[in-house]
Amino acid sequence: MIKPKRLLSLLLRFIAFGTTLAAVILMATSHEKGTFFAVSYEAKYTDTPAFKYFVIANAIVTVYGFLVLFLPPGSPIWRLVLALDLVFIMLLISSISAAMAIAQVGKNGNPRAAWLPVCGQITKFCNQVTGALVAGFIALITYIILLLYSIYNFLNPLFEKA
Amino acid sequence: MALQNEDKLEVRYSSLQPKPKKWVLLMLRLLAFFATAAATVVMGLNKETKTLVVATVGTTPIKATLTAKFQHTPAFVFFVIANGLASIHNLVMIMGDLFGQKLDYKGLRLAMIAILDMMTVALISGGASAAAFMAELGKNGNSHARWNSICDKYKTFCDHGGGALIASFAALILMLIISVMSIIKLLIKPKPDSTTVVP
Repeated sequence: MIKPKRLLSLLLRFIAFGTTLAAVILMATSHEKGTFFAVSYEAKYTDTPAFKYFVIANAIVTVYGFLVLFLPPGSPIWRLVLALDLVFIMLLISSISAAMAIAQVGKNGNPRAAWLPVCGQITKFCNQVTGALVAGFIALITYIILLLYSIYNFLNPLFEKA
Repeated sequence: MALQNEDKLEVRYSSLQPKPKKWVLLMLRLLAFFATAAATVVMGLNKETKTLVVATVGTTPIKATLTAKFQHTPAFVFFVIANGLASIHNLVMIMGDLFGQKLDYKGLRLAMIAILDMMTVALISGGASAAAFMAELGKNGNSHARWNSICDKYKTFCDHGGGALIASFAALILMLIISVMSIIKLLIKPKPDSTTVVP
């Protein structure tokens, strides 16, 4: 029978993989075309380098999460997984931070720089991008929980000694 | 007899492990502190004022003053706050290294230092990347959203912001090295009864 610790870790990793995949899919398929008083506009995620970076970073973490799901419990590669978890958390934080900075300007505009908010005209695009950002956030929190859990498991002998 | 063997084993074990020298870590933390403090200060004092002549009434020109401050952009505010917190963290760690060697809490000192270092790396990376993409937007504009670039009008603001970003990225690399060294310090303590990591 699978030990409960292993089951919990597997469940968390599956959630993390699922949410990064959802973030990639939501952001990559966000696409809106329309006309606004005879001016045709089109909004895609490739318009902004921040959203492109978000898709690429989350795609890398999805592939990593998929590979880690199949790692057998006793192998010594788990120490490398601990280190790679930290690196990929940094990547996720940086990509979400960048995408949110640009999305905030798109939603609220910046009156001092004469940048008008564009979310009023492309509501469907904005909603889908918001969904992708929420999925990215959940993935980030899951990875942080996983990292703390791995560190706790690794340091458990140390705690018992103290 | 068994105790003597154990002592010999432990002495040999600890002399085989390469311990990172203490002054290397202290120097790196000092450099990281200077980098984050520089990034905070340069971006915090980032301000540019321009006066433009808007119209001419008779012979007196009417001037309008426009300022560019870092507070106008939430990404730059986050950048300043993140780097400020990181410099405070580095300062506390340096003080702890120099003056508080005996401070401990149930043997968890090294673990707390490692976890706090990881949190600071995450914070700096978030702040630096948000500010970097905002700066790219300000420099190149975005033709799809009809946003004009502002760097040709506020050159000094953009230059100072770029300098602060470079300092923050240097701090990020230094903090990453420091975090790795803290984790190594945490893991090389001889633990006789730890075998494999439980996933």
